[in-house]
Amino acid sequence: MIVPVNVVLALSAVLFGIGAFGFLARRNIILMLISVEVMLNAVNVSLAGFSRHLGDLRGQVLALFVIAVAAAEVGVGLGLVIALNRNKPGAAVGDLTKLKW
Amino acid sequence: MLSRIYPGSDYFLLAAIFYYMAAASVASALLAVTRRNPVHSMLWVLALFLHVAGIFLLLGAEFLAAVQVIVYAGAILMFYLFVVMLFDLPAEEVRPRFGNHWPFAAAVGLGFAGLAWIARAGAGAASAEAEVAVERVPQGNLRAIGTALFGPFVLPFEIASLLLLAAIIGAVVLARRRAA
Repeated sequence: MIVPVNVVLALSAVLFGIGAFGFLARRNIILMLISVEVMLNAVNVSLAGFSRHLGDLRGQVLALFVIAVAAAEVGVGLGLVIALNRNKPGAAVGDLTKLKW
Repeated sequence: MLSRIYPGSDYFLLAAIFYYMAAASVASALLAVTRRNPVHSMLWVLALFLHVAGIFLLLGAEFLAAVQVIVYAGAILMFYLFVVMLFDLPAEEVRPRFGNHWPFAAAVGLGFAGLAWIARAGAGAASAEAEVAVERVPQGNLRAIGTALFGPFVLPFEIASLLLLAAIIGAVVLARRRAA
């Protein structure tokens, strides 16, 4: 490997932290979903790093499944966003208080 | 990869490219979660996806890099951009980007990163062995991945296709305009 596997794992950890921060801090539902994508990418980086480090292709196969799940998540998540937008224009999660009483 | 053609000679070049990719992906991830305009966020996350694809290439995962570009940068991001441009989001420009709880969110993000860094110890004495591990990666990445996908992983593969079918139907049902 051209760099120690620790560097790859550190990169993955930092990206995951940024994604978790974005998911919790942003108030726009679309950007929250984008932060989830950042987290999934971080996990894929660590899977590819481990795959290279251990000389085991199963990590890359697992990363392919992660990408498939990400595609499914985007489809359903953005479908929900469109349905929400029809009931109440805008994408701010703070406005979604219909179930509150 | 270059190092297979010129063994050893461009070690530092490849390492430098890796560190550039890593720094650029961290920077574009940070920009993606902090920009006010959603379209700018999308473009920064596109930069993140392309740099991560470069990291996959450097890690010897050529097929994963291609899938990353085609599926993430091509399909998923286009879907996001489509939805963002479908919406009229004037309020985004004036409202605060982050909730009042953003220091808590930053603490959680740092905590997750720290946890992942601690958990890496479970990977064993990594850095010492990493230099020799490279030879164990089978060449012909695509053939090996195809064999794995249709061999030991055929059941998860079929389940993934079923999941995608369910997601397609779910998205159509959710986003369809009700005839009322």
